[in-house]
Amino acid sequence: MKPAFSIVFFTVVSGAALGALALLGVIALFDLPWLSASARPVAGVVGIALALAGLASSTLHLANPRNAWRSFSRFRTSWLSREAVFSIALVGAAVVFVALLWIPVAGPLRSVFALLTIVLAWIVLVCTAMIYASLKPIRQWHTRWTPVAYVVLGHWSGALILLAIARYDASNSVRLAHLCLALAVTAVAVKWGYWRACRDERRAVTLEQAIGVAQGVHPPAAAGARSVMQARLLDAGHGGRTFLTDEFVFRLARRRRGWLLAAFWAAGIALPVLWVVGAWWQTPVVVAACLANLLGLFAERALFFADARHTVRLFHGDRRT
Amino acid sequence: MKLGLVIDLDTCVGCHACATACKEWNGASAISGPLSDYDAYGPDPSGVWFNRVRHYEVGDYPASKTINFPMSCMHCEDADCVTVCPTGASYKRADGIVLVDQDKCMGCNLCAWACPYGARELDASSGTMKKCTLCVDRIHDETLPEPERQPACVLACPAHARFFGDFDDPASQVSTLTAERGGFGLLPELGYAPVNRYLPPRTPPQVAVDASPAPPGGAAAALTRLIDAARRFAAR
Repeated sequence: MKPAFSIVFFTVVSGAALGALALLGVIALFDLPWLSASARPVAGVVGIALALAGLASSTLHLANPRNAWRSFSRFRTSWLSREAVFSIALVGAAVVFVALLWIPVAGPLRSVFALLTIVLAWIVLVCTAMIYASLKPIRQWHTRWTPVAYVVLGHWSGALILLAIARYDASNSVRLAHLCLALAVTAVAVKWGYWRACRDERRAVTLEQAIGVAQGVHPPAAAGARSVMQARLLDAGHGGRTFLTDEFVFRLARRRRGWLLAAFWAAGIALPVLWVVGAWWQTPVVVAACLANLLGLFAERALFFADARHTVRLFHGDRRT
Repeated sequence: MKLGLVIDLDTCVGCHACATACKEWNGASAISGPLSDYDAYGPDPSGVWFNRVRHYEVGDYPASKTINFPMSCMHCEDADCVTVCPTGASYKRADGIVLVDQDKCMGCNLCAWACPYGARELDASSGTMKKCTLCVDRIHDETLPEPERQPACVLACPAHARFFGDFDDPASQVSTLTAERGGFGLLPELGYAPVNRYLPPRTPPQVAVDASPAPPGGAAAALTRLIDAARRFAAR
C-alpha cells in the first residue's frame, strides 16, 4: 500500500496525543505525583493540540473533503465513522478535563472527565487501528497485532511527551521514567510479534488462488488429473500506471526499507531510551528526544503501509500476498 | 434478485471490447460518469476504468494456456466496501447492484482498500470513488428494446463470453451456465460471497513433444557433431 504522508502523520501524532491524554487522565484520576499540578494543564493543552493537528492532517487524505461531515453517519458499521465520532467526543471531553485541571475546587467533576478522557482515548486508538485491522484483503493488517501495536506505540510516545513536560517543570518523574522504559520494552515486543505474524505465510493468498486455477484449469465438476498449476502475468492490459497500481502496487526499494527500519529502531526506540536512562534533562535534548521518537514512528508507520500487500497485487502479477 | 455477470474464460479472446464499451457507456452516463482521463495524449496517460482485462499464462509448457481475464465489480452479497464506507455513499440495492452515491462520497479510499478485486477506482477530477454500475441505467430502461436491456460490456463482447442475468432465478441463463460448466467466484475464502461467476477454460490439449535432452552447446559439442558427421560419412 502507498504510504500517504497525511495518514502516516495522522496516525502517529494522534496516537501520541491519545496516549498522552490517557496517561494524563490516569495521573489526574489517582492524583499520582508523577506530574506536578502545575505541569498537568500544560500536558493537557499539548495533548489536545496534537490531537487536533492529527485530525486536521487526516482530512488532507480526503479527495472530496466537502463531504467529510457525512463520515459521522455510519457509526453502526464503519470503523472510520466510529473513529470520527469518538474523536470529536474525545476532544470535547479532553477540553473540559484540561479546563478543570486549572480549577482547584472541581475535584469530583474532574475525576469524571478524567475517566471519560481515558476511556475515549483508548476507544479512538482502537478504532483507528481497526480501520486497518478489519481489511481482509491485506493480511499484514488483518491481524490482532495491529490494534495492540497502535495502542502500545501511542502510549510509548505519549508517555515520552509527559516525561518531557514533567522534566521541564522539574517534577519528581522517576516513576514516569520507569513507565517510559516499560512501554519501550513492550513496544519492541509488540513490533517483534507483529513482524513475526507477518512472516507467517499460512494466510497468504497466491496468484493461482486469486484467478481460480489453484485446482487446475478443469471445471471442478469434471474428474481427472487435477494438478497444481503455475500462473504468470503476461500483460496487465494497460501500458501506463492506474489508480490500482499507484495505490496497491507500491514497491519500496530494499535499501530505502532498510533506512526506514533503522530509523524506527534508532530514533523511535533507542535514542529516547538513551535519553531516559541517561537522564539528560536539558531542554534541547528533551525536545530532540520527543521529536526523534515521532520521526522514528513515522518510519514505522510508513513501513506498516509499504509492507502491506493487498490481493489486488496478485492480479498485477505478484506470486503471493 | 441477485443480478450479476457470467464470464466465460474459455471463449474470452482478450480483445478489451467489454472494457472500452464500458468506458464509452459509463463515461456518458449520469450515474457516475464521466470517467476521467488524465494526460490522455501525453507521455503518462491514465484514467478511470470500471472493467480491466488482464492476461495470464497458466500451466507449464507444453500444457500451458493463455487465459484472458476481465475483471469488474463482483457485486458481492457480503460487500465489505459498503460496510466500511463511513459516509453511506456506498450502498447495495435490492436487485444486488452495489453503487456509489457520487453526492455523498468524500473520497477516503477505504472502500477501495476493502475490495480484494480492485473493482473501485478514485476519480481524481471529482474526488469521488467510482465503480461498475452493472449499467443500471440500461438494464432497467423500458424505453430500450428488451434485447438491449443488458450491460454495455455484455452487448459488446464479440466472442459471446459475457452473460448477464439474475442468479436468484435457477432457470436463468447465468444460473444454468454456472451449474453446467462449474462456474466459480473469485477468492471465496475471504468471505465476500462474490456474485459474478467465471466459467473455467478447457484443459489445454496435450501436445506430443520431443522429451530427449537438448543437445549441449559450445566448441566441444560442435566437435562431437563434426566427428559424428564424419563417422556417418565414413559408414556410408
